[in-house]
Amino acid sequence: MVFLIEYDRERGRIVSIRSFADSNGDRAEESRLQLELELNLKGVKNEVVLLEAENEEALRRTHRRYFEDLTELATAPAH
Amino acid sequence: MIPSSELSKHQIDRLGDRLRKADISDDDLRLLDSYRRSFTEAYEAVVGQIRNQLGLEPTGRPAKSTTSISEKLRRESIRLSQMQDIGGCRLIVEGIGKQDEVTAQLRSLFDKTIIVDRRDHPSHGYRAVHVIVGYRGKLIEIQIRTGLQHLWAELSEKLSDVVDNAIKYGSGNEEIVSVLANLSQDTMNIEKGFKGKDLELLQAGFQHYSEALGRLQDVIQDILRRLEGRKDGISD
Repeated sequence: MVFLIEYDRERGRIVSIRSFADSNGDRAEESRLQLELELNLKGVKNEVVLLEAENEEALRRTHRRYFEDLTELATAPAH
Repeated sequence: MIPSSELSKHQIDRLGDRLRKADISDDDLRLLDSYRRSFTEAYEAVVGQIRNQLGLEPTGRPAKSTTSISEKLRRESIRLSQMQDIGGCRLIVEGIGKQDEVTAQLRSLFDKTIIVDRRDHPSHGYRAVHVIVGYRGKLIEIQIRTGLQHLWAELSEKLSDVVDNAIKYGSGNEEIVSVLANLSQDTMNIEKGFKGKDLELLQAGFQHYSEALGRLQDVIQDILRRLEGRKDGISD
């Protein structure tokens, strides 16, 4: 699956997440560009990233920073 | 979309120069999008081989975010066309023995590889092995981290997000930087103790790690109190 994430770094929090089937990679890339253009128009500096993983659980394991707050990261064991 | 094949090295580097500035135009976002998409074929080939030949399941990042590319260009004297981590993926493995094994497998699997081993010589505390694979003129970066190395990296990134972006480069809040440096060293001691079956090193490593993590938790709680006004996201 492909995940399109908009992440507010300063708040350390995901603003939006969309998933696409692997076969829709082109659509995911196009959506990333559209989201970046929208945010640019609004002057919003959020991070926009496309990630690919077997499922959301795998993504949460390898990219914990997007999903967990500081307290959770500092108290949860290493996966 | 602008065909990426029409982008010359000169145009890519001129784009990189513009991305160093604070405001990025829509045209440059489109141009960067085209450039990033030119890595898709290499990314899919490399990740596909890791999945099919090695039976591993990496999480991929087909292309680095605009934010990360711009920040790297501002921070370093590197040119956009030289950036080695536009496309990449990440593998989390159990222990440095398995990390060595996967690194060797990747070296055998691909013809052109560069191994960057940051375990004994960490970059601002960051420890991992990166394998850079060349595929049809494009470079794809494979990050191989153990669970403890990964936890350290995620903590460093998150602290950089919400406290100070300089932290992951070893500056900023001195207390946080100091605790992260200790945690990084303890991570190495634990992993070496475990691999070498050195019980003394392992026990000392765990004790120091536990103390450093406790200190970090205290520092985080202190930050939470000081940043009460923008608390959401740092801790719910």
